Amino acid sequence: MKRIRFLITLIFLILFASVACAAEPSPLINPDDIRYQPLTFTPPKAERVVLENGMILYILEDHEIPIVNISAIIRTGSIYNPEEKEGLAEITGDVMRTGGTKNMTGDEIDDALEYFAGAIDVSIGMESGSATLSVLKENLDEGLDIFSAIIMNPVFDENKLKTAKNLKIEALRRVLDEPQKVAFREFRRLIYAGNPRGKLPSIDSVGKIARDDLVRVHGKFFYPGNLMMAVVGDITRDEAVSKIKRYWGAWNRKGETAKIPYPKAKQKGATNYIFKDVPQSTIIIGHLTPEKKNPDFYPFTVLDFILGSGGFRSRIIHEVRNNLGLAYSTGSFYSGRSGYGIFGAYAITKTSSTAKVLSLIMSIINDVRNKGVTESELSWAKKSINNRFIFAFDSTDQIAVQQMMIEYNKLPENFLTTYRTKIGNVTAEDLKRVAEKYLPPNRATILVVGKENLQLKIFD
Amino acid sequence: MTAINNKLVFFIVLALILFGLTARANSYDLEKRVREFTLENGLKVLMLERHLAPTVSLYIRHRAGAVDEISGRTGTAHLLEHMMFKGTKTIGTRNFKEEKKILDEIRRVGNALDMERVKGDTADKEKLKRLSQQLKTLQKMGKKWVVGNEIGRLYTENGGINLNASTGRDLTTYHVSLPSNKIELWARIESDRMINPVFREFYSEREVVMEERKQTTESVPARKLMEQFLASAFTAHPYRRPVLGWASDMRFLNIDYTGEFFNAYYAPNNTVIAVVGDISPDAAIDIIKKYFGKIPGHKLPASHITEEPKQKGEKRTELLYDANPRIIIGYHKPTLPSFDDYVFDVIDSILSGGRTSRLFRTLVEEKGIAESVNTANGIPGARFPNLFAIFATPRYPHTNKEVEDAIYEELEKLKRELVSEREIEKTKNQLRADIIRDLNSNSGLASRLSYFEAVAGDFRYITRHIKVIEKITPEDIMRTAKKYFNQDNRTVAVLKRKSQ
Repeated sequence: MKRIRFLITLIFLILFASVACAAEPSPLINPDDIRYQPLTFTPPKAERVVLENGMILYILEDHEIPIVNISAIIRTGSIYNPEEKEGLAEITGDVMRTGGTKNMTGDEIDDALEYFAGAIDVSIGMESGSATLSVLKENLDEGLDIFSAIIMNPVFDENKLKTAKNLKIEALRRVLDEPQKVAFREFRRLIYAGNPRGKLPSIDSVGKIARDDLVRVHGKFFYPGNLMMAVVGDITRDEAVSKIKRYWGAWNRKGETAKIPYPKAKQKGATNYIFKDVPQSTIIIGHLTPEKKNPDFYPFTVLDFILGSGGFRSRIIHEVRNNLGLAYSTGSFYSGRSGYGIFGAYAITKTSSTAKVLSLIMSIINDVRNKGVTESELSWAKKSINNRFIFAFDSTDQIAVQQMMIEYNKLPENFLTTYRTKIGNVTAEDLKRVAEKYLPPNRATILVVGKENLQLKIFD
Repeated sequence: MTAINNKLVFFIVLALILFGLTARANSYDLEKRVREFTLENGLKVLMLERHLAPTVSLYIRHRAGAVDEISGRTGTAHLLEHMMFKGTKTIGTRNFKEEKKILDEIRRVGNALDMERVKGDTADKEKLKRLSQQLKTLQKMGKKWVVGNEIGRLYTENGGINLNASTGRDLTTYHVSLPSNKIELWARIESDRMINPVFREFYSEREVVMEERKQTTESVPARKLMEQFLASAFTAHPYRRPVLGWASDMRFLNIDYTGEFFNAYYAPNNTVIAVVGDISPDAAIDIIKKYFGKIPGHKLPASHITEEPKQKGEKRTELLYDANPRIIIGYHKPTLPSFDDYVFDVIDSILSGGRTSRLFRTLVEEKGIAESVNTANGIPGARFPNLFAIFATPRYPHTNKEVEDAIYEELEKLKRELVSEREIEKTKNQLRADIIRDLNSNSGLASRLSYFEAVAGDFRYITRHIKVIEKITPEDIMRTAKKYFNQDNRTVAVLKRKSQ
């Protein structure tokens, strides 16, 4: 008995040893089996301070580098442009920055600012305006002198206005040079048709803009109650409050900002073509979708991820690019905003495969409407969205501005802290439901720019 | 605990963290903050701790790019970069042993098909049809074993963002940002693809890069003009080639040469890694050693890169295209770390750095003849002598010619009059501030550290750069302008609207 057991042990040892020798030097672990230390992280929070004149501040200290950044957001936008003055909001932003203030000319501002390596930007977009200052701590006062004057007392020099208009007109002339620029501009006009968001500047409308128009825009929208500011960087909380008070404390203008109606989802879709003699077609398929406050925002975010914004594995990219090699750029985008959301699926493909790719993307969307998604896709998308959420807190600037934007967009205060749970609760049924509700093919706004289907027109 | 106490604790913790960073004499003294390792196989690793959020940015740069391709195979470095996302022997397959049999067949049939296609009009049509059909069938069979886009799936599912890669003329780069507890995932995937990449789905990816060329070069006037500009400026040096490749080469890129290129250049001793973020360098280097340490180093090919002969006279080239006019002007010059290259960094800033720069003020604001004007030092790469380039778009109804003349006037001014001390000081202030601002992003830092380590041979180039810049005088600028801004050293490319 003993002997047998010995033999068995011996055989075992030999076998084991030989197996061990024959094996690869340490087999690679399956990447899905790697175990990770849990992450614990409580992001810093910006402090909210309200000045007596109604200006709201978000302050976050960060002393890693000797820089102070200020970002202001202003409730305004091109949606307020008067009829036939499209382009006015953008130009107002440009010339606030370049056109000088009561104390300094535009050129003097540029000279001073660039000498101490500070940066100021003012821009007015579709639904908001922004003004930013970035300076070394040692130049903070000089920076604030200029920045506050630009916000409160811009003078809109005629020459700088002329330059801004000329540059805008030239940029419009050049839109036609690039098919993708044409496509995304015209898509905007089509998807927002009937709403101020769909009104775009033309050479003609920019030509009509006069200095008085700019003064009026500034007078109407730049007042303390209509502006919020994030102050971040190498500055203490108290210093920040006292400096902002010193520059803006006596600013007591009042005003009221009107509400602009939100765009409404289309009752009937349409396919639009623009001719451009290029070797590829740009295809965009768009829908108006849930706003950020809508509970459907969460399932729709997951749906968009699975359809085409979740990288190579998402359905449209996997099929159109990976499996068929029909496009380099393809996928989808979704942005949930205040009052509405916008979704688009897109691809840029060689002329001869235009029809194929368009119907392929339509069928990928329909497939989700009809059959829903698999559990493994759902779990992949939710994990991805929730695991990357940490990057929303990657820099102090981002953290403070994000908090400010939650208030600007009137989202619930706990928007960020509940986000991951709400994504986690999304079910496959939710996805099928929101796909059916928001992506009916007969309501799609479709645009093709290229040589295919030579129905010229549209661009004015 | 009351709310106030909570906040107090928070601020104490915050203060401690921040103190930890600022306590080092100069928190922005980059050289002291970077930890540097070289593994036995020659792999260079740079690490830098930043603890704001639990995230990390990871950069891998191989010192190999389009310049290292052989003639007739342009676009290989770039297609290889795409193929690296297709997986490995253990990632992206259901059974590699079975898959391998089909992959070998696909390669054989694909090569045979290309050899017939390359004959053009004299190709045997029947044979083409048969081989295409065969290839299609094999690709369908292969799909059975493929788990597509596994690398993308693994990274996104684990919270990865900015997963991407880029191929340049000098380098090929792979990067991703991850939650900082996921470094091992990155090491597992990246080390595996440096040893065992599998070029599955090769032929459909070749179609993708051809679409990429149509989209990003053929349809973009600025890029199309740039391609023609470089092909004129460089007569012999491979900087003349487009990174995506020439269309006729791209159609015939093959698995064999792509594999050879990989074997030759993706060696650990030809690679730099940068890790920046919320890491413990000791733990990170252990993981890196464990995964990357086993990749064998090897001798790099003694590659011969054709030198650009000295230019003897102006070169002019014209592109007819359905778009508004634009112009590119370039002058040959040495690359880093030549002193003149530093001077060009200052000239770059004087000419086009911001609204007070000379070209912006004159051409855009005062004369109003240009819509945009920019300059760039080090086009199209930095491993070899390169160009100082000026890009401009005239404003209608002004012409390329007017803009070109106005640019020369400004260049002549640099040769004729000394730049003021204040103008130089402004430039130096800006370069100093840039260095500080660049410290504010994990990915920005990882990118710069790995870039200069790979191209200049030492990341300390970043900090030495400013010390050299500090010494540059108005006389240096005049001397450099006189030496290089000459007609016989110039290439001019203009886009002219094609008459319909």
